[in-house]
This record gives sequence, structure tokens and C-alpha cells, in this order.
Amino acid sequence: MNILKMLGFTLALLSAWNCSASGNAGNNNQEQQAAPPSIKGPSGGVMLEDGETSLELAIFERGVPPEYRAWINYQGQPITPSSQQKPVLEVRLTRLGGVVNSFAFTYKGDADNTGYWLGDAVVGEPHSFYVEVSLKIAGNTHHWAWESYEGRVAIKADIAEQAGISTALAGPGRIQRTLTAYGNLVSGSENLSHIRARFAGQITRVNVNVGDRVKRGQVLAQVESSESLKRYSIFAPIDGVVTQRHANTGELALEQPLFSITNLTKVWAELKIFPQQRAAVKAVQVVSVKAAGSEQTSTIEQIIPMDSGPYVLARAPLTNLDSNNTSPNNSPWYPGQLVEAQIVIEEVDVPLVVDNRALQSFRDWTVVFIQIGENYEIRPLELGRSDKTHVEVLSGLNAGDSYVVENSYLIKADIEKSGASHDH
Amino acid sequence: MIESILRFSIERRWLVLSFILVLLGGGVWSYQHLPIDAVPDITNVQVQVNTEAPGYSPLESEQRITYPVETALAGLPNLAYTRSISRYGLSQVTAVFEEGTDIYFARNLINERLGAIKSTLPISLEPEMGPIATGLGEIFMYTLEALPGATQADGTAYDATALREIQDWIIKPQLALVPGVIEINTIGGYNKQYHVTPSPQLMLTYGVTLGDISEALHNNNSNRGAGYIERNGQQLLVRSPGQLQNLADIENVVISTIDDAPVTIADVAEVAIGKELRTGAATRDGRETVLGTAMMLVGENSREVSRAVAAKLESVRASLPAGIKVDTVYDRTTLVDKAIGTVQKNLIEGALLVVIVLFLLLGNFRAALITAAVIPLAMLATVSGMVQTGVSANLMSLGALDFGLIVDGAVIIVENAIRRLAEAQGRSGNSSGKLALKERLEVVFEATNEVIRPSLFGVIIITVVYIPLFSLTGVEGKMFHPMAATVVMALLSALVLSLTLVPAAVAAFMSGKVREQESPLIVACKSLYKPALILAMKLRWLVLSAALALVLLSGWLATTLGSEFIPNLNEGDIALHAMRIPGTGLEQAVAMQTLLEKRIKEFPQVEKVFAKIGTPEVATDPMPPNVADNFVMLKPRSQWPDPGQTHAEFVTELETAVKLLPGNNYEFTQPIQMRFNELISGVRTDLGIKVFGDDLEQLLESAEAILEVLETIDGAADGKVEQVTGLPMLSIIPERMTLARYGLSVSALQDTVAAAIGGEPAGLIFEGDRRFELVVRLPETLRRDVASLGDLPVPLPNGGYVPLSEVAIIELTPAPNQISRENGKRRVVVTANVRGRDLGSFIADVKARINQDIELPPGYWLDYGGTFKQLESASQRLSIVVPITLAIILGLLIMAFNSIKDAGIIFTGVPLALTGGVIALWLRDMPLSISAGVGFIALSGVAVLNGLVMLAFIRDLWQERGDLYMSIIDGAMIRLRPVLMTALVASLGFVPMALNTGTGAEVQRPLATVVIGGIVSSTLLTLFVLPILYRMAHGRELKQP
Repeated sequence: MNILKMLGFTLALLSAWNCSASGNAGNNNQEQQAAPPSIKGPSGGVMLEDGETSLELAIFERGVPPEYRAWINYQGQPITPSSQQKPVLEVRLTRLGGVVNSFAFTYKGDADNTGYWLGDAVVGEPHSFYVEVSLKIAGNTHHWAWESYEGRVAIKADIAEQAGISTALAGPGRIQRTLTAYGNLVSGSENLSHIRARFAGQITRVNVNVGDRVKRGQVLAQVESSESLKRYSIFAPIDGVVTQRHANTGELALEQPLFSITNLTKVWAELKIFPQQRAAVKAVQVVSVKAAGSEQTSTIEQIIPMDSGPYVLARAPLTNLDSNNTSPNNSPWYPGQLVEAQIVIEEVDVPLVVDNRALQSFRDWTVVFIQIGENYEIRPLELGRSDKTHVEVLSGLNAGDSYVVENSYLIKADIEKSGASHDH
Repeated sequence: MIESILRFSIERRWLVLSFILVLLGGGVWSYQHLPIDAVPDITNVQVQVNTEAPGYSPLESEQRITYPVETALAGLPNLAYTRSISRYGLSQVTAVFEEGTDIYFARNLINERLGAIKSTLPISLEPEMGPIATGLGEIFMYTLEALPGATQADGTAYDATALREIQDWIIKPQLALVPGVIEINTIGGYNKQYHVTPSPQLMLTYGVTLGDISEALHNNNSNRGAGYIERNGQQLLVRSPGQLQNLADIENVVISTIDDAPVTIADVAEVAIGKELRTGAATRDGRETVLGTAMMLVGENSREVSRAVAAKLESVRASLPAGIKVDTVYDRTTLVDKAIGTVQKNLIEGALLVVIVLFLLLGNFRAALITAAVIPLAMLATVSGMVQTGVSANLMSLGALDFGLIVDGAVIIVENAIRRLAEAQGRSGNSSGKLALKERLEVVFEATNEVIRPSLFGVIIITVVYIPLFSLTGVEGKMFHPMAATVVMALLSALVLSLTLVPAAVAAFMSGKVREQESPLIVACKSLYKPALILAMKLRWLVLSAALALVLLSGWLATTLGSEFIPNLNEGDIALHAMRIPGTGLEQAVAMQTLLEKRIKEFPQVEKVFAKIGTPEVATDPMPPNVADNFVMLKPRSQWPDPGQTHAEFVTELETAVKLLPGNNYEFTQPIQMRFNELISGVRTDLGIKVFGDDLEQLLESAEAILEVLETIDGAADGKVEQVTGLPMLSIIPERMTLARYGLSVSALQDTVAAAIGGEPAGLIFEGDRRFELVVRLPETLRRDVASLGDLPVPLPNGGYVPLSEVAIIELTPAPNQISRENGKRRVVVTANVRGRDLGSFIADVKARINQDIELPPGYWLDYGGTFKQLESASQRLSIVVPITLAIILGLLIMAFNSIKDAGIIFTGVPLALTGGVIALWLRDMPLSISAGVGFIALSGVAVLNGLVMLAFIRDLWQERGDLYMSIIDGAMIRLRPVLMTALVASLGFVPMALNTGTGAEVQRPLATVVIGGIVSSTLLTLFVLPILYRMAHGRELKQP
């Protein structure tokens, strides 16, 4: 039994030795799946050593966009441009999906040994890639390669399907930002008419009653002038519905209004726009007005300030279609009614949008997970405008990328699960 | 005194024998009252104080509830420490008391303190003490489901809410009455609620607020009694029923009037049966279900109670609506029966083996029966003792019983009596070979008296070696005290029996002719033994150095064995925690759980799988929604595709399969073990550094700094800071200036937000006995729409409204998902294990480095804990107790022999006996464990006993004859039979245990293995090394004069 244990131990030792030997010169097998080097250098980077050559490679991101910095030592001496040996250092990063970033290095800093070799490009997030380093120095070329993945996970296709993970292609889309406001309906003053008798006199005939629909120019009543004793007609000045009548045959028409006619074909929604919203709301914006059972799209025509109250009013006309051609599912709008409105404050076509359901938080970033085969990886996004279903992507994702939409939480959960524990 | 007892027993043998009946009666009665469980109860004395606080975030529940409760409990008598967690909607304070505190006394004290602080807690929050149960309490679980096609009275299919209603109002009240059940805990489904969901727009239209609605509901929902009137001699009770009965009643409640036109609930809101904001869910085989758990009162007999629950559930089935299925998913009876079955099988097989050995070696059937009779009688006496001392029967307490050890004393007495009787019969020359009664009694007395002292001392010594086990404390103590107590009781009762009953029985029944000739086996052994012994005496230096080499070798072997502190009892079923990242929602967790269960169910070995997610109704185990306790019930092994697959192999297979599922982390354990872990809940790593202080962020920062230091120390592994943050929280922060401008107060804003999102209780709806909450809150579509939360209109005092975003900042921030406290202070724990380094120096190193490198702000302090403390204190105690025990044994031996030299010789037997045990462990590839340790303890006792009997005899013979060498040879020859017999019965009695693979066998196997191995070496020692040592020690004495 013990012999077996010894044997196992020896094997483990051997394999460990093999691993450490994999960085040897000439061993340039790109397929190898190596763990990242575990030795840390004095500057916090990874230490790569091969014979007399050693290289420390670090991603520096304090105060600057992430950049590669390297320190090269040959025969125990730091290598600077003034050294005899001229090093050629190249780092190639292969990202998920086959994108390759190459970095060449130039020396930065004093010619003595306080400087470092600086990579010529920003190392983009996420820092998840297959790293290949090649260093040519003193006639030898040294290769190192390892996997340095973060925010990446592999999920088998059948399991992903069972789990309901669905993907979509990122592409252009339209962002429609809206804002909710409430307000009351009022009839416009042009649609309200209070009709008086031109000359005082006795009413001799009344043709209409409250609720009657009248046409412009229709005779409402006849009055016999007290002065001329002539009968004259009172005409309807506008189309509308008679909402008030203070006239009966035989009564005197004096100063009082005899009829009120309201034209309900057009009413105004006066929406209260509070200070926080004021900047976003402008005339000609499209607004969708809702009340119990009815909905109508209109545009904001004016914005008028209020003397009282902290808000301004955005006015949008609504039409009550004539009974002849009313669309059947609209019940009429009435002044005084309270309505809810969705104001479209912005509507733009943008080159790249993603579904809101795809967004997850990851560390300090908002990310989506792109899918390539059975691999999923975070893509930190810079986001622009958003609406209820989609959000604009400013950077971090390419059009045509396949990203996880439904159950994106599962991917986040899987990436972060190493931290999930059950502490009582 | 011993002589007079013996004389009495032999003279009044029939009287003594009649005591058997008393023993039988008492034993049978006790057996019926013996609490039986699978495993010993290792829960500490603790009381949980749970306060449900709907809607409270972790910070609020800590500040408003946990702190006052904790402060109130501080300083209770016998209180060991308190710890608490504050989570969403729950505060749980656990008060742990000193061992031995009466739980009812403790609860009484707590109750008194809670009463005093009631006024300082937020109104309507009620701290409640958890059920009076221990880790063994969850004895029975069942699930509810509707058969396909089953419909409710109104024609709709049963949903989770309807199932929960059946559980709460039909099943639970009936099961709660079963004696021994303290609580029926429910998880899963939704509490039925009546929901009034007003639309913000309609509320604005009619100028009503959420507050108006709930006030209207409050004011229109009560019955009132109005005394009575007498009319024509008859008494009429007066009552005005005004309770809302159904949805239509609720819809018709008038909120206000506008120009005399009533505004009713129906005008502004929808009324429907809705779902509570639940904190837990249950699933089974990939579907949501309702899970009921019966919890047993502390100290009850779990097998009986779970049987009673099962029987009651059977009768409850009759009262269920058609189409509802109640399924038992976990029944403790099964496990207990299995465990008891294992013990029974071992004991019966062991007893049979013992009887056969006795018969073969004694060659006398009556004598064998008399000796074997000690087994059941000692067992009954032990059971009575267990009931009296409150020790429960379980795998641990019965696990170390060996009938071989028990009958050792009796074997020695009976063997000697037979030998002497046969001799006496031979001497008497009577043709029939029979002795006169008086003569026979005298022979029996002498024979017994001859060996009673050594065997008494032997048994007392075996008993004494169990003393170190009693010094264990904590969990180890709880596991092993019952074991030690049971063994000691069994040995003591066997001792009393061999002092009284055995001589009486021999005197009474060995009346016939005792056959002289020994069994062929013994004859053969003797013929081998004599030349071997003579040879060994010659080559004594060789033998001694071989023995020494053996001891050294096994000493080295022992260091190479792995070690295991507490044995793992295999419960046969699997429990696993499925953990998701903090902040995972309950519905998301249910969806992930469904996937997991479907996968597990695909295994043909699995009979059923069910899970509890989050916190049940009574928060006995308050888990957040991202943690699920899964129970995997396995089919009997015969139904497995490969019945030969071991449990561990299956667990590995299961683990590999479920690891493929995204988003879950797992921790495999077993149902009872899981419950114990939840209740004991200490730091389970080697080292836990607790940082105490006020500010959570500072605590976390310090903890992380400590972790950083810790990780640089040699030997540290698995370093981790307790996860305290990570719950995303939607904060609605009032803007005071703007609020003031609109005439709003902060509380008015908060009321609106709380009512809109969390809901506001507005009374109860009664349906007969059943009562359901009436809740006002926003429609689900609006509640879930975080993006447009800012548009929510907040009503102004003078009418009108303002959008929420105008008066508050809405932001998503990470917040603590749980606040843990200990002894009244917030704490964060840093844990680590130690690899490849001894614990003591590691801890010292850690302390030094942390003292040097970490600077804590004032008001913050550290505490070191973890299993290293237990190990430390256990080894400290043992380092005192073990030498004392050894000294007692030595003292006893000196008393027995009046000679330090002889005592020393016998003492040398102990290390040699242990070598066999170590070698046996190594051969079977078993680790050193406490179980094995108990085996070593028993072994030392047997070794001493054998040596004692052997030396006592040799010494007597030597004194009689004066020839040392011949006395040694003859004495050894005469004692060969009893030594072989005791060795064989003791080891064969353990054989079934050593080979068993049934439930619970893992505790007994190492023990039995050690004893069997050790007895072989100890027998060799007794037979060869002891005579040599004795001769060497006393040979010089002879030469001196």
C-alpha cells in the first residue's frame, strides 16, 4: 500500500517537473493548456524564466488605461536599450472568438535601470485571453504561453438549452425613451362657447336642448328684441354639444348666457411636467395618452408655465372623432378626466443595441455575456441611452456578436459561484 | 466482604437465581422506555429567538430588533454566548447556554427578558422562541401535490397557494396534536392573501391614496357583539356582522365620496387572491411543492414520534380534498430501524459466536450456557441503567459493546470452577463421580474465590480506562460519553453478575459429572504451547527484542496513519447544499433548483429528491434565497443498476454530474449532519479569526488585511473572508429639501414607497377558521418595473401629486446581505485551514504576525477561534487525564499484587497489545480516529486483565511450590485455556462489527478492527513475554538469599 503511495507521489513530482519545464526554449506548442505562471515578480507581474533570461510581465492599470509593462533580465543584468543585447519582445493575446492583439515593446524611462519596457497598446477589458510571449535575446528565442481567463465559463450546449439560455445577435436598433406624466383633460377655449342674446328680449322659441349636437350656424333660439320688437335668431358659433341651457320660451334674455356649447371633437391634455423632467420635454414630442379604456397618440403642441405649482403644463390635443367615424374601441375623452401619458422624449436609431434582459452587473461593470460555441465570456459595456426593452451600446461589443439574452443571470451565477458559500 | 458475598450467593443460590426474574422484569420495562435514535444528539443547549420583520432590510432588522434582543439577553445566568444574524425580513438571535442548563429554565429566563423589551421593539413585531427541539428534531417530512386533473371547488386547478392552504388549515392542525411533536414547520407555496391592487392613475383620478384605501378597509371589516336583550323571557344575543366575506365584499367598500357619488375599491383597484412576498420555497423532483416538517420535542423517542406522525398522516389523508396527494419523503423511523438493525445483528451474531467458542473450549454445554446467560442479563441491566441515566440507545452508545468483554469475568470463574470440580470429582473416587452437595458448594466457592480477585480487578481496570473518554467536551464529548457510559454500565453489571449469579448458577446446575477431558482444540494448543514456551524461555532475549522491535515498528506505523477526529455516520441518504451567488432571487433559485433536481432524478439510484430554498415559516434554519437544502433519498441498493457500488462512489458520480449545471456550488453532507451543522454553527475550519467592531466596511477592510497577512504565512490554505456584502439594494433616498417644498415628510414618502412595493396589511379576511391577510399594494406589473419606479406618483397632502423621482434619488447599491454578530457586537470572520504544518506553531506564528502587521482602529478587536481551540483543550485535558488514569491502573495492580514489580510487568502488556491494533488498522487502511481510540482503550483493559489472571495464578503456584521455573510453565499451561477463551470470545464478539457494512458500521469498524488485532498480539504477549519477564524479574530475587 505504502509502495503505491510512494509511486503516486513520485509520479506527481515528475509531472510537476514536466510542467515547469514547459516554458523551455524551442517548446513552441501553441495548443498547450498551461496554468498561468504562479511566481510573482517584484513589480507584481508574472515571472517568466528560462535559463539566464528572465522576464517580468505586468498589466499596469493604476491611474492609466491598462498597459503592459515588462522588465527583462539577462545574466542577472537588467536589459535597457543601452545594453549590448537588443531584446525583441512580443506579446500576443488571443481572445475568445479568435481576435488577436499584438503588443510590441519600447523602452520607457531613464536609460539606467529604473525604467521599463512599455507595450504599445491598451490592454482592453476583459483581461481574458490566451497569452503568448516571445522574447528574442542574444540569439535565442524564448517562448512562454499560458491561459489567463477571467469572466469566462463553458456550458455544454444541451445544458444551456435545458436551462433556457437564449442568445441574440447584437445589431442596430431604435431607442425610444419615454417619460410618464399625468394630467387633466381640458377643452380648449376655442372649443367652448357661451352664447348670449345680442339684444335683450323675450325668447320666443328654443330649438335645442342640453346634450343636443349642433352644427355651426344652426339656429339655437329666437329672441324678440325688446327694443325693436323684431325677432332675430341666435346661431351656433361652433360645432359642438349643448352643455348648458338657460333659455325657455317666454323667458327674458338679458345678460346671462343662454347656451353653452362645447366642441368635444378636440380636447387638450394638460400634462404636469415636474422640474426634473422639464429639460427633456419639448414641443412636437410624440405623446401617448391613456385613460381607462382609451389610448391616443398625439404631439405636444405647447409648453406653458404655471403661476402656481412647481410644474409646467405640456399641452397635447386629443380628438374625439365624430360619432359617424369613431373607431370602435375608443371611448370619448372628456374634459376633467385624468390621464396618464407616455411622452417620447427621444427616439433615435443607434448602430448597436442589446436587450435589457441581457445586462448583468459584474464587479464594477455592467456586462453582457457573449457566446462563442460553448464558451461564454463577459463583455464590459459602455452604455448609452436606454428604453424599456433595449439599451444602446457605445463600446465593448461588436455588431454581430452573439450575446445571451434570457437567463443571463445563470452565466453570471456560474462565473461568480466560486464565491458562493453557505456560512451560518 | 467479597468472600461473604460469594458465600451468600452459593448458599442461597436459588434466592439469588430468582433475582433473574426481577432483572428480566426491570430490563423489559426499561427497554420499552429507552429513547432510541440513530445517532447521539450533539446539539448544545440553545434557544433561538426569531423575529419576523416583513420588509426590513438587514441593516434595519439589526438596528431595530437584533440589537435590543441581544442586549436584553446579555448576562443571563449560565449563558455561554449569543450570536445573531440579521437578514431581509428576519432577525435571529441564538443564545447558547452552558452544558447541562435546563432548557425550560433557559427559555423561561429569555421569555421574561423579552417581555421587558417588548415596548422598545417596533410595533407589531413579535420576537418568538424557536421550537424546543434539537438537531435530531426534524424527524418527518412530507410533500403535498395535486394529481393531474384535480380541481378546486371553483373548477380551477390547484396551485401552490391552494396547496399551502390545505397544509396550513387541514394537515398542520391535526399533526401538531401528535404527542412528542413540538412544531409543524412549513415551507413552499404561498400564503393565500387577498390583494387590493390600485392603479396609480385611478387613484389620482378619484383623489384617493393608498393610505385612504387601507384605512377604508380597516374601518369596514369587523364584527361587533352588542350584549343581549330579553324578550318575553328569551335571551337574544345582539351582534352586528360587518366582516368582509369575499372578493365582492371587498370591491364594494366605499373609500370616499365625490359629489355624493361613492368611490368604491372596485373603482380604483383590482381585488384578487394574491401571493405573499415569500422568503422560502420548496421543490420536489423538479416541481414546486409544499413541504411540511414535523419537529420532535427534545428528549422524545424519535422512532415512536415519527411512527405516530406517519399514522396520523394516514388518517389525515381521509380529510383531504379529492386529488390531493400527501407523500412522506423523509421518515426517521427508516434510519433508526436500519441503525438498530445493524447493532442488533452485530450483537446477536457476536453473542452466538461467543456461545459457540465457549462450548468448544469448555467442552461443557451447561457451563457454556451459564456463561452465555450473562450476556442477555448484563444487557438488560445495561438498558435499565441507560434509562436511569438518560443515555439514549444509538449507534454510538451501543456501538462499543462487546459481549466477549462482558463475559470475560464469567468465563474465568466458570472455567476455574469446572476445572476444580473435575479435579475434585477425580479425587473423591466416588464411582458415580458425583460430589456431595456440601463438598460441591465448597469446591465452587474455592474455585470462584481463587480467581475472583484478579477478574474483579481486571474488570475494574477495564472500566477505569474508559475514564479519559469522559473528559472529552463539546461535540466529541456528546458523541462519546454515551458510549463510555454504556460500556461501563455493561461491565459493571457483568461484574456484579459474575460475583453473584454465576457462582450461584454453577453451584446450582453443575451438579452432574463434570467431564474431565478437555476439548481436542485445547489439547492441541497445549501440546504446541509447552515446547514453544520452553523455547521462548531459552531464547528470552531474542523474544524480548522482537517484542520491542514490534512496538517500535507499530509506533512508527501509527504516525503514518491518517487521522480523523469525529467519525462520519453514514445516514444512507444524501443532503447537499446548493449555493448560488448572494442576491439571487427566489424565483430564479427555484428555476435553477428545478434544473438541478431533474438532473439528480435522472440517476436510477435516486428515489426522490426534494429541497428547501430560503427560510421556512418558523425560521429554524434561516437561509437566504440563494441557498437550498437538497435531500436525495436513495433506492434500496438492490434496485441500483450496480448494487455493488458504494455510497461514496455514488456521491462522487452525483457530484460530477451536477457540477456541470451552471450557477450552482455544492456542499455534500447528510440530513442529520446538516441539521447539526446548522445548529452548532461554529467555525468549521482549523482557524477562524473574528474581527469585532462597529463599522461594517472597516470590519471588512481589516478582515481583508488579515487575510492578506494570513496567506503569506507558511501552511495556510483555503483562506477566506466571510461573505458579507453583495446584496444589490435599490435605495430610495429622500431629498429633504424638495420634500419640504412639496409639504411632504420623509415618513410620508417612505409610507408610500413601502405600501406601493412591499404592500400594506389592511386587516384579515376570515373564512370559517381560516384567516388570510388583506394587503394593499401596487399591481405586479408596476412593482417589477424598476425603470419606471421614478414615475410613481406620490400624493401630496393638499391633493395633487409629485413623481417619486422628483423627491427622491433612486439608486442601485450593493449592501450587506447579512449582518452577523457575536456576543453583542458585529463581526466578520476570516477562516483558514492548515496544511503540512503542525497547528500549534502555525497558530503562534499567525498571532505574532497579525500583532505585528495589523493595526486595528480603536474599538475593534480580534478573537481567535476554530477547531484548533477544541483540539488544544482536548489535548490539554487528555494530557492530564491519561496519566492520572494510568496511575490509577498501576495503583490497582499494586493493590492486587502488593508488588510494584508485578504491576510493572503487567503494565508492559499494554504497548504490546496496542501494536496489534495499529497493525490491524494499517492492514485495513483505516485512519486513526476516536473510534479506534476507544478500541485501544478496551484493548489495554483486556491486556491487563489477561496478564493479571496469568500472573496471579503463577504467583500462587510459586508460593505453593517454591520452584519458580516449573511454576511458571505449569501455571502458564493451566491458564492457557482461560487466556485463549477470553481472547477468542472478545475478538470473535467483534468480528461481525469489523465486517459489517450496514448503516452506522463506519463507527464500529475501526473499533472492532483495533480490538481484534490487538487481542491477537496481547494474547501472544500474555502467553510468551509475560512468563519470560516474570522469570527475569523474580529470578534475581531467588539468587539473592
